Amino acid sequence: MLRVFFAALVGSFLMTPLTSQAEVNVFACEPEWAALTKEIGGNKVQTFTATHAKQNPHFIRARPSLIAKARRADLIICSGAGLEVGWLPILVQKAGAAVQPGSIGHLMTSEYVPIIEKPTVVDRSLGDLHPEGNPHVHLNPHNILLIADELAKRLEAINPKNSAIFKERLLDFKSRWRKAIVQWEQKSNFLRGSAVVVHHKSFSYLIKWLGLNRVGSLEPKPGIPPTSLHLEKLLQKLDSEPADLIIRTPYDPGDASEWLSKKSGTTVLILPYTIGGDSNAIDLFSLFDRSLALLVGAVVDQ
Amino acid sequence: MISIVGPAFSVGLMVSLVHAPLGIEVLRRGIIFIDLAVAQIAGLGLVIASIFLTEASFFVTQAIALSCALLAGLLFSKTEVLAPAQQEALIGASFVLAASLAILFLYDRPSGGQEIQHLLSGQMLFVTWREIGLHAPLYALILLIWFTKPAFRNGIKFYLIFAIAITSSVQMVGVYVVFASLILPALAALNTQHPHAIAWACGLLSVITGSITSIVLDAPSGPVTVVSYVTITLLAVTMRNMKTETKTH
Repeated sequence: MLRVFFAALVGSFLMTPLTSQAEVNVFACEPEWAALTKEIGGNKVQTFTATHAKQNPHFIRARPSLIAKARRADLIICSGAGLEVGWLPILVQKAGAAVQPGSIGHLMTSEYVPIIEKPTVVDRSLGDLHPEGNPHVHLNPHNILLIADELAKRLEAINPKNSAIFKERLLDFKSRWRKAIVQWEQKSNFLRGSAVVVHHKSFSYLIKWLGLNRVGSLEPKPGIPPTSLHLEKLLQKLDSEPADLIIRTPYDPGDASEWLSKKSGTTVLILPYTIGGDSNAIDLFSLFDRSLALLVGAVVDQ
Repeated sequence: MISIVGPAFSVGLMVSLVHAPLGIEVLRRGIIFIDLAVAQIAGLGLVIASIFLTEASFFVTQAIALSCALLAGLLFSKTEVLAPAQQEALIGASFVLAASLAILFLYDRPSGGQEIQHLLSGQMLFVTWREIGLHAPLYALILLIWFTKPAFRNGIKFYLIFAIAITSSVQMVGVYVVFASLILPALAALNTQHPHAIAWACGLLSVITGSITSIVLDAPSGPVTVVSYVTITLLAVTMRNMKTETKTH
């Protein structure tokens, strides 16, 4: 019995790909950062993603591979601002010197973009998941540009040999991304002012970018599950001030949005939120293409 | 590899080493739910500390959790004398009360659901060597007292020792592993000539199997360890039964 286990154990390690061409090991907390790293690093980087789109990145359970990959990482790229506070600090503590806070291998993307919804008075007793402001920064494409710059700098510092490649890929990515932004902004212009209800404030950056009007959140406070009293109040509000859509991520529980949708007649739209959130969102470009197509389609249907 | 599951493995081993003798005693007395109750009450103490004291230090948190567990121990040692027939029922009721209070304290807090899950199933892989170092002397002391001063196995002293052990264990491995590591090895050792040796062997095997399975399946260590405790105990009991059957034939 034990022998079988040991054989499987040895086997599982032999099967771990010996970094082929890749020269930088990157540990990404969320799929969006793994995707961005691939855009800039190409085949010079090997990425591992700690969470997937159907998982709430606030909370994950410790698996052995998580610790193994963190230890092997030259760069850890995460949203920061408290998004991974439940598991990342201890994971980093168990990882190498290269990725400790303050070093080049420790990149918290929210530090390089303008943070929104930062509470002026932080009162944890009132319950607030995000005293550092909203960490879901990747859903404003302008933020992606800022983060791409910083990521390229980090990759160059970690792997100077391929510095030219990273620079070139960054320029190429940015020019394609800027063109895409222009298209997205044209296409979604008529969404401006559309009223939406969200589950958690996961879409705040998208909402701000597109000029949508958030009329409410299903969560009474960030991170606190919807309560019946809060939902009743929200329903009353929607009666006088109807919303176009209720939007949620694939990992938010659907019961509260379904309830509100039935009572108020507002359509529920599940946006992919990140790469892998649905079968169409396979990279950063298609994530935004798909999200906007869904939003436009749903608003046109109204 | 050792540095990845090393701490989880060590803490599992440490816990199983100390829990085996305690579990044998618990099973002998027929107060199975006491470990769930004391673990949950210590956990309630941890929840209270995290809510009412912002940034409480390690030792303050420990003191609060331990006080809750000791209070529970004291209460159970009294009810054992006053209402022995109802003891198991009272222990069970205390468990659901402590669990429900923890939910009431946490339900309207961000990540409250997660904290409750951690309390129950632990995060063994996130245990650090430092934590192990801080709790290890306590476990050593408990084992020393248990085997050198048998008087501590009785009455109120038993409940005190038990409360101290469980308070440390529940923070590192969670309520489920605490229960499994106490009761299952004791069950395997029931009616044998060397209960301690068998309980320890069962614990050791379960922790080894649990750690390896956790790596192979890349799954959380705590729940995997519970499953492996149950599997090893079932195997041990089945093997023993087959042996006694062949003897009687």
